[in-house]
Amino acid sequence: MVNWVIYKPDVKMLQNSLKSAARLFKYQNACVIPQRLQQTQAAETTPKPEPEDIAVIEERILKNRDYFQVHNLFTVRDLFNARVHYGHKEGSLDARMRPYIYGSRLGHLIFDLDVTASHLRDALNIAAHIAFRDGIILFFNRNALNAHLVEKKAMEAGEFSHTRFWRGGIFTNANVQFGAVTRLPDLCIFLNTQNNILTQHVAVRDAAKMAIPTIGIVDTNCNPNLITYPVPGNDDSPAAVELYCNLFKAAILRGKEKRRELLGETVESNSANTEAKSQQLNQTE
Amino acid sequence: MEVALRIGVNLLKINRVCVHSASRITDSYAKQIQLNRDFSTEVTVNAAPLAVKKHKVSKAMKAYLERARENDEFMKTQKLEYQIGKRHLANMMGEDAETFTQEDIDNAIAYLFPSGIFDKRARPLMKSPEEVFPARKAAEFDETGRPFHSMFYTGRPNFFKLLYDIVEEMNKIHDLEERMLRRGTRADANQKIDFTGFQWMPKEQLESMLVEQINDLEYTNFTNAMDRLVSLPFSYKCQNFIKKFSKPLLDQTKQLEIPKPQFDADGRQFVTTYECLRKTARGDVTVRMPGTGKITINGHDITYFEELQSREQVLFPLIFAGLLGKVDVEANVEGGGTSGQAGAIRWGIAMSLRSFVDQEMVESMRLAGLLQRDYRRRERKKFGQEGARRKYTWKKR
Repeated sequence: MVNWVIYKPDVKMLQNSLKSAARLFKYQNACVIPQRLQQTQAAETTPKPEPEDIAVIEERILKNRDYFQVHNLFTVRDLFNARVHYGHKEGSLDARMRPYIYGSRLGHLIFDLDVTASHLRDALNIAAHIAFRDGIILFFNRNALNAHLVEKKAMEAGEFSHTRFWRGGIFTNANVQFGAVTRLPDLCIFLNTQNNILTQHVAVRDAAKMAIPTIGIVDTNCNPNLITYPVPGNDDSPAAVELYCNLFKAAILRGKEKRRELLGETVESNSANTEAKSQQLNQTE
Repeated sequence: MEVALRIGVNLLKINRVCVHSASRITDSYAKQIQLNRDFSTEVTVNAAPLAVKKHKVSKAMKAYLERARENDEFMKTQKLEYQIGKRHLANMMGEDAETFTQEDIDNAIAYLFPSGIFDKRARPLMKSPEEVFPARKAAEFDETGRPFHSMFYTGRPNFFKLLYDIVEEMNKIHDLEERMLRRGTRADANQKIDFTGFQWMPKEQLESMLVEQINDLEYTNFTNAMDRLVSLPFSYKCQNFIKKFSKPLLDQTKQLEIPKPQFDADGRQFVTTYECLRKTARGDVTVRMPGTGKITINGHDITYFEELQSREQVLFPLIFAGLLGKVDVEANVEGGGTSGQAGAIRWGIAMSLRSFVDQEMVESMRLAGLLQRDYRRRERKKFGQEGARRKYTWKKR
């Protein structure tokens, strides 16, 4: 909980910084960024005698536009190949999704993948930053077809998943629901924001109530209003969902890796466990 | 006397707490031993880090530590009280307090505080506090408040992890099938899992295994998923996984051992069944083979029973097995009335005949209910009523 309290202003700062990133860069490009670069370069060449507090680093890296280099995780071509551009039929369009749409073909809406890509990069950036700050990230998905995949990827990223019926009050009444004081997630990632075609996932509302930032893949029939970082795109196709999962997993692992590197920690890695497990599987075959 | 009273109060207190806590076993403080360390942050720090972090303990961990401390103190006082009570009991029974065991305590309490209360859990008892109070749930999160289990936020992580594992097994088998088909080999039909005579682990057992409460719908989801897994052609590859959750059905005819016939002085086979019970009647039945159909009941023939129904009862197993007129029956029966005695003999004959018929016949006798002991007893008369069920005649006006 202590962490959570500390995160709040940080996240807001991060939001502001990301949203006004372009402006920031215009004015500060000349002075701030080169200094930062010099500093980081200096750190790389000669190791500092006095280790910094991680909280200071957390603040400092916010000023970097894409500290974790998430932009190179995917290309627009990847999105296209994963069928991210397919929306639903014209009739089911939610008017709030209009800005993200490129047009329609044979009655089906098509997303503008350039817009999607920039939104997705913002979302990956925030996910990496929160992972860097040792935040808890919770994956959501109510589509049974993709539930197993999402759970698996969340496990591989060392994070959390909820792909089942949402019992009311998990966020808003957590201490009663879990029978003890419980730390809530610091970021919710919705791989689809709908329970079914008609109703929105209740956790979207609950996360907004509890001021937990959310990333959501919003299709043409979804409402993006309560999502902090909406990513317009197809949320039904397994190929698309797998792509999102892999991207978020990669971003999270980058954030965690960086933190470990800075703290000089080595974790008895999950990959070792998964390797052992896969060996067992092979043996059983 | 004062001592006895004090210990009595102590016992009552423990007893009340025990009954109270028995209902609480199922809630959140149930045993939770297995912790998934995958999600913890156990780390080793290298020599020269570029950054340091302040040691922070989350509110969740603080609250947990506080609860654990309270629980420890509570258990300490309870243990002390238990030791004192044990000493008092040993003194009262005139034995050495040091060598007084739990069994002695139980005997002493049964002797000193005799109780006719029907429910055994409500009777006075004194047990060690470890047994009386359920173990508390260990912390499910590390000191930063990060849960250990990936599905912690679903509220039933172990159950949903089980469903996840089932799907993992299925995917593994699908992959295997794909590879095998490409190679042109098919599943071995001989190795196919035969699930007849098995059932899935009952809900209560599954709950205690997972240390979680699940509802009926979720249990159905579990059984459906397992059925699906078993129905796959290569399901024998994950036999161990399936075996963990299956339970053999008891086969009655296989379980009950059929006695081997003995030989009497005439060289005839015979089987005697003792303790043939029905209502308050009790008897023993001897069946001899081969015979002429002679039936002897307490020295009389079948006319021992005047009612036709009772005679039919005695003859029914013989007719059913097709051995009427081929075996001799001798029965000694006492107590009860005619129908009770007839029922006792019927059961005795049926049980004895198992030794003289084939397995198929035994199974059909079981299905006909001939081998089932009839446990029904007379129902008591109720006050304010004429009999067990019948009411007095009553007319409003």
